[in-house]
Amino acid sequence: MGDKIGIACIIDDDSVYVNLVKRIIEAKHLCKNLLVFENGKEALSYFEAILSNMDEENLPEIIFLDLNMPVMDGWQFLEQFCGIKNKFGKVITLYIVSSSINPVDINKAKGIKGVKDYLIKPITIEDLEGIFNASA
Amino acid sequence: MLQNELFNNVMQDFNTGYWQLLKDPYRENWSDKFYEVLGYSKEDVKPNFDYFISKLIHEEDVALFRDNFLNYRNNNTNFKQHIKIRNKNGQYLFFRCATNDELPVNIKAGIQFLFFFETNIEPDRTIKKDNFYYKETAQMTSTGSWYVDFQKRKSYWDFETYRILEYPEDYKPSLKDSADYYAEDHRQLAADCFFNCAMMGTPFNTEIKMVTANKREFWARAIGKPIYNEGKEIIGIRGVFQDIDEIKRKEISLQKSVDIIAAQNSRLFNFAHIVSHNLRSHTSNLSLLVQLIEDIEDPKEKEGLIKEVKTISDNLNTTIEHLNEVVTIQTNNKQERVVVYFNEALKLVVNGISHMISNSNCQIRPDFTEVEQIDYIPAYLESILLNLITNAIKYKHPERDPVIVIKTYNENGNAYLKVSDNGRGIDLTLFKDKVFGMYKTFHYNKDAVGIGLFMTKNQVESLDGTITVDSEVNEGTTFTIKF
Repeated sequence: MGDKIGIACIIDDDSVYVNLVKRIIEAKHLCKNLLVFENGKEALSYFEAILSNMDEENLPEIIFLDLNMPVMDGWQFLEQFCGIKNKFGKVITLYIVSSSINPVDINKAKGIKGVKDYLIKPITIEDLEGIFNASA
Repeated sequence: MLQNELFNNVMQDFNTGYWQLLKDPYRENWSDKFYEVLGYSKEDVKPNFDYFISKLIHEEDVALFRDNFLNYRNNNTNFKQHIKIRNKNGQYLFFRCATNDELPVNIKAGIQFLFFFETNIEPDRTIKKDNFYYKETAQMTSTGSWYVDFQKRKSYWDFETYRILEYPEDYKPSLKDSADYYAEDHRQLAADCFFNCAMMGTPFNTEIKMVTANKREFWARAIGKPIYNEGKEIIGIRGVFQDIDEIKRKEISLQKSVDIIAAQNSRLFNFAHIVSHNLRSHTSNLSLLVQLIEDIEDPKEKEGLIKEVKTISDNLNTTIEHLNEVVTIQTNNKQERVVVYFNEALKLVVNGISHMISNSNCQIRPDFTEVEQIDYIPAYLESILLNLITNAIKYKHPERDPVIVIKTYNENGNAYLKVSDNGRGIDLTLFKDKVFGMYKTFHYNKDAVGIGLFMTKNQVESLDGTITVDSEVNEGTTFTIKF
């Protein structure tokens, strides 16, 4: 299978998890480029910069968002991101990937329009492949 | 219709005369049986309250019946009373008078009834006995009666009221002194109860803190109802005070225990949540890693991945150590408290981090004059001071040297410790709920672990204290601990 997705994006502060996902993506050739941000704020700055520079080719097609992060957590990021995402010409699919099994979190996430699905860690390699293929 | 049928059945079973109290038009409907029992025909009498009071009821019973009836009419206060009513032949018959309470089923709940059950008991003969029982009851239940007469502007107490309020028997109770009978913070409540009762005829039944002549505070139940004259005007308030101090204090202490248990339970739940969440992040990484190792063919790459196991294992260990620390706090609260001097605890802390303090040009300005010492676990106080001071230094403002003001003070009988810095501050609109959370960091410092304030909060709370934060970005942060 070839690189169907151009850019994917991970927003997560757990460096071990990020490294593992990175390796899976590389090994499986799931996408060409991977953006990694340690927290919501870093990611948001990136998207805001794209919006003002109009260079939409650097936008990811897919985002994996963690909930529990320092500085700006996943919820706060979502709130801001949902406000600007319609200004992009590109469709961005967003998944929440969290180790929280709290039903309050899960229901809250599923109630947000911009969230495609809520994935509970650990995710499997098959899950990742499935998501990338579906989004391609 | 079913309700009517039910109602008729009940009335038939009762086989008794009754009044039906109507609001609009405001009058009483006397039942046929009521006429029949007394031998009157409908032309003989005027079926209304005023006629009844002036012509039919025995004068001995007038005053009490009027109060009871009007209270029932206006406030739906049910009552039972023995009364004597004159029949057509001029003889007085005995009745037991009762209200909706007496109905076996809750029918026609919106309509008030007054029943007149015929009885042979002559209440007069039992008065002496009643008086004995009344005194016994009053003493055994610590219930004193009182009456406030608005016309004569006088207050009357019975022997038990004098006793529970600890006033000498020659003391003359008066409305002017009445504020003195209640604890300061309950005077408004007392005033409201009496005012509403006197003006609107609203009866009251409330728990209130009273004060005896000897300035001893105690909890009482105060019950009062309005008294009416012939013109249906309120001319006084009658009621009781019951000493419920013991019960109320038990209730309050029980409530305190409930609060403590609830707080502990919530901490426990929170801890379980933390444990589950923090361990999950490592186990899920481990699981992902194993999948990757299985999936990859190249033996060299496989070996590289196995090294990752060590990273995860180290992280897991760190988390477990942190959790252990929390557990230690939770179980340490049985540890004995001893007298700790704030300046000594601070000296120890400052000596331990003297390097950090001098490197950062940090100034510490302590003021423990108001509260010099406290009963506490010394290690906790040191740990609290250490965490707050190192935080203040770590998150100092980039453009100025850190200044930390540490002050103790008393407020409402509680000791407080306040630690203020001039650091970069925390944006509380974003982080209000998270300041004391585990693994929550708000700054871009790489060495931020997010465990210190979580520990501090746990230590403070395990000894039944509270910690709050106040902060302004670029101005500084203040932590206030209530011991």
